[in-house]
Amino acid sequence: MTDATSEPASPLPQGVGKCGPGFWIAGIILLAVLSWGIYGFLQQILHGLIVTGMRTIGQGGAAWGLYIAFDVYFIGVSFAGIAVAALVRLLAIADLRPLTRIAELLTLVTLPLGALVVLADLGRPFHGLFSLPRVARPHSPFFGTFTLVVAGYFFSSLVFFFLAGRSDAGWMRDHARGSLKWFYRLWAAGYTGTRDESERHQRTSFWLSIFILPVLVTAHSTLGFIFGIQGGRPGWFSALQAPGFVVMAGVSGIGALIVVAGLIRKVLHLENQIRPEAIRWLGNMLWVLILVYLYFMVVEELTANYASSTLETHVAHEIVSGHYAGWFWTVVITLVVPMFILLVMGITGFQSIALSMFCGATVQVAALLKRLLIVVPSQTHGLLLPYPEGTYRISVTEISVTAALTAFGVLMFLVFVKIFPIIPLDRKTPASQAVEPVESHRRHALRLSIFAMTLLLGLALTVGGLVFSARYGTQPFLDPVVPFSPVIFIVGIMLSFSAAAIYEIVPGPMK
Amino acid sequence: MTSGVENSLWTRKRFAKALALAVGTVLGYAAKAFPAVTAPVPPALAAIKRPRHWGMVIDLDLCTGCGACSVACKVENNVPMTGNDETHQGTEIEWMSLLPGPGDSTVHRRADMLPMPCMHCGNAPCVKVCPVGATYKNEEGLTVQIWDRCIGCRYCMTACPYSRRSFNWAPPQWPDSYKNYLNPDVATRPKGVVEKCTFCYHRIRSMNEKAKVTGQPPGDEDIRYLPACAQSCPPKAIVFGDLNDPQSLAAKLSKSSRAFTLLSHLGTEPSVYYLSRNQIIDEG
Repeated sequence: MTDATSEPASPLPQGVGKCGPGFWIAGIILLAVLSWGIYGFLQQILHGLIVTGMRTIGQGGAAWGLYIAFDVYFIGVSFAGIAVAALVRLLAIADLRPLTRIAELLTLVTLPLGALVVLADLGRPFHGLFSLPRVARPHSPFFGTFTLVVAGYFFSSLVFFFLAGRSDAGWMRDHARGSLKWFYRLWAAGYTGTRDESERHQRTSFWLSIFILPVLVTAHSTLGFIFGIQGGRPGWFSALQAPGFVVMAGVSGIGALIVVAGLIRKVLHLENQIRPEAIRWLGNMLWVLILVYLYFMVVEELTANYASSTLETHVAHEIVSGHYAGWFWTVVITLVVPMFILLVMGITGFQSIALSMFCGATVQVAALLKRLLIVVPSQTHGLLLPYPEGTYRISVTEISVTAALTAFGVLMFLVFVKIFPIIPLDRKTPASQAVEPVESHRRHALRLSIFAMTLLLGLALTVGGLVFSARYGTQPFLDPVVPFSPVIFIVGIMLSFSAAAIYEIVPGPMK
Repeated sequence: MTSGVENSLWTRKRFAKALALAVGTVLGYAAKAFPAVTAPVPPALAAIKRPRHWGMVIDLDLCTGCGACSVACKVENNVPMTGNDETHQGTEIEWMSLLPGPGDSTVHRRADMLPMPCMHCGNAPCVKVCPVGATYKNEEGLTVQIWDRCIGCRYCMTACPYSRRSFNWAPPQWPDSYKNYLNPDVATRPKGVVEKCTFCYHRIRSMNEKAKVTGQPPGDEDIRYLPACAQSCPPKAIVFGDLNDPQSLAAKLSKSSRAFTLLSHLGTEPSVYYLSRNQIIDEG
């Protein structure tokens, strides 16, 4: 790993601050794709969603399409960050440690993309932007997506990312020159590298990992509930939706992480930092998750075909052997082939990073098409009354907007690797700090009390915001009891997770 | 590792100050908003002794499939005029549709046409899923929609098992010559908004206001054919009324041996009943 402290005068590690022609070419291409998408979005604003391929259910169309599939996909990919962070901290898998920042950044990048693609899907996006924080109702699964996913999941990941990066930010603050010094100083938040700080960080990240795991399961399940709780839509109403979404999130998230890690390893020449063992770990995780998902798919098909209602069977037939058979069998192939390759690599010990990346990329196709298979056929063919069946054709506008969002995500990655080390720096603790006395109990008690206060206030606001938003037992419940209750709920979640950051960064008395 | 100046940015005193300011702001806001918790019930709601439950009964044995209900609905509710283009594109807006023959669906029926307004379900799936409360159950049993509140997520469209919701995929358009004849009692809906049948709620409201002024509660005869579809139906196959009033024609018809509701196995409790001599709906 990079021994950063031994030569402070040397150039910044991992190509930070160095932008070659490749960077600029990639940047220009990504910006061009982004502009194309913005043009598409403006078309939607001007002419309405008629420029998309979505149409009214029952009139030969599907009211949700590529945008919702991409929403589930983006949020699914975010699985990687927390999963890897939790595995490293809870199960102490040291091989994966160099990938933690890439994984966490993947989460931080894809979650906003998930939010943005929903915004593109709204008939009145700007109205939604202002209405949701004001009056969002917990009765709708969208509430969970909007609050738990965007606020809870994103913010907890941000806290994790922030705390884990403090020590490297401290190093950058002390060694980097130029206009970004303020950024490193802000991120380091007074980090001095004492043993006490380091121990505190270990403690915080362990407990954060434990608390984030339920958020992960809840957030991905919430997306499953959007479909799973709808009794009037054959193909959607299933208890398998929520666990299926969690597992597919794992498949796409780990797959994407393998691809991104492999690319970064190649482009930034980080062969010594990103070891094949790390990719092997991810590959093994991936084939296990694919196997579980394939099992879910078999169970789903058996249930729908054996003793289900006529329409459930009809939708299942359309998917397997009818209108959507092409998508379905592509999903099966793009899951089975990578699983087989990764399984063989896992058993034999043969390791090829390129092959692992191929598997990671292939499951992205499966993840996207499977989401489309969940979203579309139940709308076009799951009609309980004698409406004409429909089709859904993806429009150029939808492709441009989703491509732009993907490009935006890649662009964020591209910029980040140029301003911050993407692999955590491995520094030896200086001897002078190793003997530094641990801080007094008085200081510790003070920190603990501020931490507890923040956590309690956060939890109180979370519960209060939820109760005020829900307005259970009163009719009619149009507005929340307290205006902006969803925001109170979100602030509560944020404060609760901020407690971890406060525990870590609250300074002792000035010397 | 770092200088004293950088450390001084994060002193305990400054940190405590910032924290106190943040907590104070949140608590202050909550305290200001708290009176809303104990706000009294609006007198208009308290005044209703026996809540009405508006419902509709459609006699398929009388229905000729003429389509007058659908046309009248469009005119009354400022539903944009559409031609073949919109129909073929799947962007047509229709509050009252006439479903054609059974095809190979699970619904087997002998009637030629099935008039389909919004079912105004008692347990409405669309209401449960609306993220912003743009659609809700009002105190008279109607599933109403606040156009201006809708954000256009179309979750209600996917949730409605009857597919009775339309979306303004494009800005609504009328011929220039028609614009002066739009109904001033019904707001037009902008693009990006979901819309649906309201049982002509503007007519119900104006009836209630008239009753308030005259002091005479409306009789069932005044209500039976109140919505535009019921009013325009030549064989009077559509009857509207208060299902909670056992004396109303609609309530009586809804208890007929010929009466049934669509997709009742879903537990949506529709407020629209159909009448037919034949066992025409197999709910699959």
